[in-house]
Amino acid sequence: MTCAEAGALLHARLDNELDMAGAASIDLHLSDCRACAAQYTALENLHQEITEADLAYTPGIALERKLAARFLEEEKSPTRFWRWNWLNASVMAAAAVAVVAAIVSIPMLRTGRETDAVAAEILDNHLRALQAVHQVDVPSSDQHTVKPWFQGKTDFSPPVPDLAKEDFILIGGRLEVIHQQPAAAIVYRRRQHVIDLYVSPSAGSDSKTELRDLGGYHLLRWTQNNLNYWAVSDVDPSDLRTFADLIRVTR
Amino acid sequence: MDTKVRIFELTMWPHMRAAYNLARWLVRNDHDAEDIVQESFLKAYKAQESFRGSEAKTWMLSIVRNTAMDFLRRYKSPITMTLDEPGYEPQDDSPDPERVLLEQSRRDRVRQAISHLEPEFREAIVLREIEGLSYKEIAAVLNIPMGTVMSRLSRARNLLLVELGGTKEVQHDLR
Repeated sequence: MTCAEAGALLHARLDNELDMAGAASIDLHLSDCRACAAQYTALENLHQEITEADLAYTPGIALERKLAARFLEEEKSPTRFWRWNWLNASVMAAAAVAVVAAIVSIPMLRTGRETDAVAAEILDNHLRALQAVHQVDVPSSDQHTVKPWFQGKTDFSPPVPDLAKEDFILIGGRLEVIHQQPAAAIVYRRRQHVIDLYVSPSAGSDSKTELRDLGGYHLLRWTQNNLNYWAVSDVDPSDLRTFADLIRVTR
Repeated sequence: MDTKVRIFELTMWPHMRAAYNLARWLVRNDHDAEDIVQESFLKAYKAQESFRGSEAKTWMLSIVRNTAMDFLRRYKSPITMTLDEPGYEPQDDSPDPERVLLEQSRRDRVRQAISHLEPEFREAIVLREIEGLSYKEIAAVLNIPMGTVMSRLSRARNLLLVELGGTKEVQHDLR
């Protein structure tokens, strides 16, 4: 191999884009040519330097809110003409996996104490909502739209705080029945993770938060002011705790 | 919320950060980058027919890239392109270029060196070194052959080496 031939291939070697034979022939040349070896070291250093500089720009939270607002507008607009034949295989596959996971795991979880059964039902409901059939009845990022919506539909008033500053974006709310009880589900988003907060009346006394993990999802439950709370999501448990703490101080 | 909107969100929302990063590197200021991302997401939302099972991320990024390039072509003026660039100093105003360089952290120098590349080299570096995309994915985003991806990266990195390290063009032994 000549230096001219090595040229751009040094980059492919650096980027792990060569097959074994290609990599071997470059390595052979590098062991043989000081100039190319020096160039390769310089490229490695450059690569490392860019990586360490951590140069990715991160969008502000405002962008996601603006975008969410524009999508709601699009959705409401009467001139909806687009079709949805573009769903890719991976979404369908992911949905299928989720359905299978729900079918396989949930019945096995329905054992033991009543809270376990409720936890399984909550997760079941959350997963079904994620599969996009029934995400929210009232889509709005405005707490003053979501909160009044529940009036007349429930005989309790769930908290619907605006937590956008804390990076929990309100998506909307919906009505559910959990364990034969009407429940308000308030939906938030943390980055790409959806958090469902289920609120229903309780006769029990106030309790601390209690975390449980089911099939890769986390559920936090607590009782406060005669209301039962369940927060469920696949976010990091510490994020879910932060979320629960914010809800708890709202009351 | 509509099933379709929900699925669009599940598919495309996770790529917002990458979309913003690419747009921000191409147009080089936050305000225009946000506009590019919004326009791109709405385009993606309305143009599903062209999305035929390829990777959601590369599809989204290719829309962002084309939108940003259109933007650059439309508003191609040195003033708009560098106005909001932090740390950017027009050459004439730098009394002592060497001192300016010394005062900048190495990180800022790397950022600036990439920022000053021509867009076609800049986007290759951003997609490879910052987003970590494979040649195949970069080829899909930029709609060019994989061999071209390799030669663009090669050219871009050599320019960066010259700009950053003072590395001279390597003298090769005659073989």
